[in-house]
Amino acid sequence: MIAAGLPSRGQPVPSAAPAPLLEFRNVRVVYDKAIEAVRDVSLSVPERGVVALLGSNGAGKSTLLKAMSGLLYTEEGVLEGGSIRFRGAEIQALAPDELVRSGIVQVPEGRRVFAALTVDENLAMGGFTKSGSSARAKLERVFELFPRLAERRGQVAGYMSGGEQQMLAIGRALMSEPVVLALDEPSLGLAPLVIDRIYGVIARLRDEFGLTVLLVEQNAQRALDVADHGYILENGRVVLDGPADRLAGNEDVREFYLGVSREGEKSLRDVKHYKRRKRWLS
Amino acid sequence: MRFFLELALSGLAVGAVYGLVAMGFAVIYKATGLVNFAQGELTMIIAYIAWTIQTNLTGNVAVVTVGALGAALLLGLAIERVVMRPMLGEPVFATVMVTIALAVILRSSINFIWDAYPHGLDLGVGRSVVRAGAVGIRTGQIAVVATLLAMLAGFTLFFRYSRFGIAMRAVAADDRTALLMGVSTGRVHAAAWAASAVISGIAGIFFAVSYDLSPTMFQLGLKSFPATILGGLDAVIGSGLGGVIIGVAENLAGGYLGSGTKEVAGFVLIIVILMVRPFGLFGQRDIERV
Repeated sequence: MIAAGLPSRGQPVPSAAPAPLLEFRNVRVVYDKAIEAVRDVSLSVPERGVVALLGSNGAGKSTLLKAMSGLLYTEEGVLEGGSIRFRGAEIQALAPDELVRSGIVQVPEGRRVFAALTVDENLAMGGFTKSGSSARAKLERVFELFPRLAERRGQVAGYMSGGEQQMLAIGRALMSEPVVLALDEPSLGLAPLVIDRIYGVIARLRDEFGLTVLLVEQNAQRALDVADHGYILENGRVVLDGPADRLAGNEDVREFYLGVSREGEKSLRDVKHYKRRKRWLS
Repeated sequence: MRFFLELALSGLAVGAVYGLVAMGFAVIYKATGLVNFAQGELTMIIAYIAWTIQTNLTGNVAVVTVGALGAALLLGLAIERVVMRPMLGEPVFATVMVTIALAVILRSSINFIWDAYPHGLDLGVGRSVVRAGAVGIRTGQIAVVATLLAMLAGFTLFFRYSRFGIAMRAVAADDRTALLMGVSTGRVHAAAWAASAVISGIAGIFFAVSYDLSPTMFQLGLKSFPATILGGLDAVIGSGLGGVIIGVAENLAGGYLGSGTKEVAGFVLIIVILMVRPFGLFGQRDIERV
């Protein structure tokens, strides 16, 4: 037996802070029994917090969200080690619908609205796990957040603009009354003004709706503006984490993710070259 | 004129049978993205079960229908659970091969369980003739057309307004995202197989009452599949209408151009229509996924 107060390596150190609402502990995900997408990743998302998960393409961000939503099996992925806990209970073995019912919902990358369905039908699908009687109040809340959707209720979702589709995707997720809302690259491919509006809503979701938000982004600037805490993922591992404002001030983060260099503007090519040479924390 | 009407009306009736079977194809395709090549065999088995109930238990039309359709429901669920679910996520080609194997097994089971002779399914109804002016039509034929219309209306409402109906469309469009909404795709697949077997069963019973029961009845599937393609593989309503179009076209060709053309008329029509609309008359997507 391990002596109390002497946690073994890899085990998170117990602290005075309250237990996080959602927690990834030493998660390892392998695709096709061969490709290790995520290695020994631990994250914790406190209740009513906004946690940003940053990193470039292929860093393993979406894999973590798929693990959280129980979707790994659709891509031959397996959580080979570690655990995911929600309110202290292990959830990695739950089916996707059970996870949605327990309040863990994600807005997938690329929005993935049901193109052939109308706005109303998309929203109805979001509330699939909930009874129909509470639908009206929830619809009103969604339309209050996104007045644009109210104007387009009968429209087929596939013909809407990217920004409107992102609003619909978030509204659809809200219909299931989530506790934890994960957003996978909500700013992807959107105009700056639209991104402003989406991020305004994300802040309101926490402040007014009391949601806990896990924000996966490549757009580090935006994400760190709204987040309390951030994790930076590279090649499937967490290479850096800390309070959002401290991350935003970190020299390396500024250089690689915010595009601000030590001596004024630098060309992107230099940044990329530098990144190839340097490895973080290892 | 009278000749035309009689041809058209009986074409309508047989087309309604094709339409029902075609809807069975489309329901499964819509929910699972698969073509079930055992649809005709399923239709035949249910008709044989109805005949078994009629000869061994009672000829009461309600009992036979409810019994046979209940068996269809169970058979649909069983096939999904035992045969199709383990194939989930496997390549479409392999899964379609499984349905072809299933077709052969079901087809041969007629000879194992029953026999190879034709039989009449006599439920005491459906064979009397109603005269409307100069043309006569059997009540069974009227009933099958009415049933098809009711099914079309029912499915339209179901897909448009019911939560489960919208969920089926969502699963068809993007099953992974549907999972994220908490839709259990397994349950949707099971429901689709059950519904499809019941619709086919209805078609099988009508066919057996109007015509006869024989081990070659599975060919209904071969005739109805083109109807599904014509209407659009993913269009349940369109498939029902496609059946009617093929039934009428077949009968008119047989009457006016000679009986030899009856078998090919539907297929000629399909070639022409698919050249203009490759995804079928009412289909929404390209049918690449087949």
